[in-house]
Amino acid sequence: MSVVDSPSAPPAQQPSASAPADGRARRRRRSATSGGFAPLALTLPAMLLLAGLLGYPLVRMVVLSFQSLGLRQLFGNLAPDNVGFANYVKIFTNETFYQVVGRTVAFTVVSVLLTLLLGLGVALLMRRVAPSVKIAMIVAMMFVWAMPQLVATQTFRWLVDSDFGVLNYLIDLLPGVDFANHSWFADPIQGWSVITSIVVWAGIPFIAITLNAGLTQVPKELLEAAVVDGASAWQTLRSITLPILKPLLIIVTTLSVIWNFGLFTQVWGVRNGRPEEEYQVLATWAYSTAFNNNNYGLGSAIAVVTVVLLLGVMAFYMRQMFRIGDVD
Amino acid sequence: MVATAPRAAVRKRRRPSRESDTPTVGRSRVGTIAANTLGVLFAIVMFFPVYWVINTAFKPAPEILQFEPTFFPHTFTLDNFASAFNAPFFKQDLLNGVIVTCGAVVGALVVGFLAALAIARFRFYGRKAIILVVLSVQMVPFIAILIPLFLMLQKASLTNSLVGITLVYIVLILPYTVWTLRGFISAIPRELDEAALIDGASRFQIFWRVILPLTGPGLVATSVYGFIQAWNEFIIINTLNDQAHQNLMAWLLQNQTSRGTFWGPLMAGSILTALPVVIFFLIIQRNIATGLTAGAVKG
Repeated sequence: MSVVDSPSAPPAQQPSASAPADGRARRRRRSATSGGFAPLALTLPAMLLLAGLLGYPLVRMVVLSFQSLGLRQLFGNLAPDNVGFANYVKIFTNETFYQVVGRTVAFTVVSVLLTLLLGLGVALLMRRVAPSVKIAMIVAMMFVWAMPQLVATQTFRWLVDSDFGVLNYLIDLLPGVDFANHSWFADPIQGWSVITSIVVWAGIPFIAITLNAGLTQVPKELLEAAVVDGASAWQTLRSITLPILKPLLIIVTTLSVIWNFGLFTQVWGVRNGRPEEEYQVLATWAYSTAFNNNNYGLGSAIAVVTVVLLLGVMAFYMRQMFRIGDVD
Repeated sequence: MVATAPRAAVRKRRRPSRESDTPTVGRSRVGTIAANTLGVLFAIVMFFPVYWVINTAFKPAPEILQFEPTFFPHTFTLDNFASAFNAPFFKQDLLNGVIVTCGAVVGALVVGFLAALAIARFRFYGRKAIILVVLSVQMVPFIAILIPLFLMLQKASLTNSLVGITLVYIVLILPYTVWTLRGFISAIPRELDEAALIDGASRFQIFWRVILPLTGPGLVATSVYGFIQAWNEFIIINTLNDQAHQNLMAWLLQNQTSRGTFWGPLMAGSILTALPVVIFFLIIQRNIATGLTAGAVKG
């Protein structure tokens, strides 16, 4: 959500910003040398805050991952013991770790693919329906988009409640199906399909509305020419629409991967803050290890591994954004 | 909602011939009807969970706790809202949430505006590095920082305090604030700065009299997004503070574990918690488009 407008807004400014760049660059350089300390003074408060409450904790996290810190050290006011790579050895020799990583990756792939496909489908559908239907779709999506994650999770918990949930009632209406008192979280596969539904349901509006905005950039003439040339709908989509949407698709995909890889709220809410082993993903595992089991060193090590696993995707996203930020 | 949907679908069917904005020619009538039906279905499915929260919140407990649900409240009641509002810590956490969120938004706006100004209007050594920091920091999963943050704030006696969590929230929304405001500021034509400079304005006057007023819509949009982010946060506050120093979102989580089966008050509480965010979001969604275009033209 946070970056929706940034990637789409700058391209519009591009021409005006780059055209008179020559004469301006000189002026700018002059002003930078004369008021040399002004920009640094302006950024100083922000940098101090970020360094103190984000940078330092990041370093502390790495240091902690090489230490053993539990309740004994915390309440005994003792210095944490340095244990070298023991935490990492513990993680990498643990069967659970590979299961958790596998589960996190599998969830990310499935949920991102589903959100993207459905979002793209909805974006295309929005161009074909009558204006009033389009408004209904947008209004519904706005409400979904605005809903806080935790509230959405509570809502779905209620929808799939085993005793009085409306989902069980509706499925039970099908002839020959008995879904009364069906528990959705007894079987992890069903439980995960509920979690995936929450994430996909909540993720569709961002993708659909962003892509729908992107679709207006597809020149009508190209599509008409394709129809005249006898291209099928699928061919038009593949060879015209998708290539034009590509930059936007890359950004929304990367963002979805980053968001969904860090899945926490939905699992936490659905499992009442104590996820069973089959419901642990990297973020919840790191959190429960640190705060539920009071093993802060091991928890930090898991967090470090999570960040490292995400680093590739982040670097990719930042390269995209940096290109945009460099324009002006 | 359920009742009006079929009628809406029928009304749509009469229209296809008038649709001139469809991108391609030669669309079949059947295809248009199918598309409209699909669109209406999609809207219903998407909206259904939202509708179900509202529906549940206004029902009395016996009507909630039956296997065959009622699709609208047969007996309309506000009891659920009353019991959510009078539940332990609700009022306290509501007040905390308002204080912490507003404090964080104002703090981030002041600090973020200065930084955004520097990035947008100056070329200086380290500018790229600062952009890199702002962008990368946005990507760090906050769960990762939470462990050392908890230990740090505990040592500084800033856990169980509204000051500590406000500082954390400022940092939480700061990267986004800087990045968005930078966009708004660089959208203001530099010629305006130069005109003011020629008229004898000082650099400070340019910032105060030219750039700040023109960034108005941007400041509103940014602060609303910041508000939403801080208001929706619950993991950090739930970890750092006890119930007397938490916000409504964390209250919702606590409420769930202790009284998970009281669906009526829980849904009513959810509505009360989500309401400011939903309202702000719907407002900003309309304003952000006009803010982006109108702000530049008006200047």
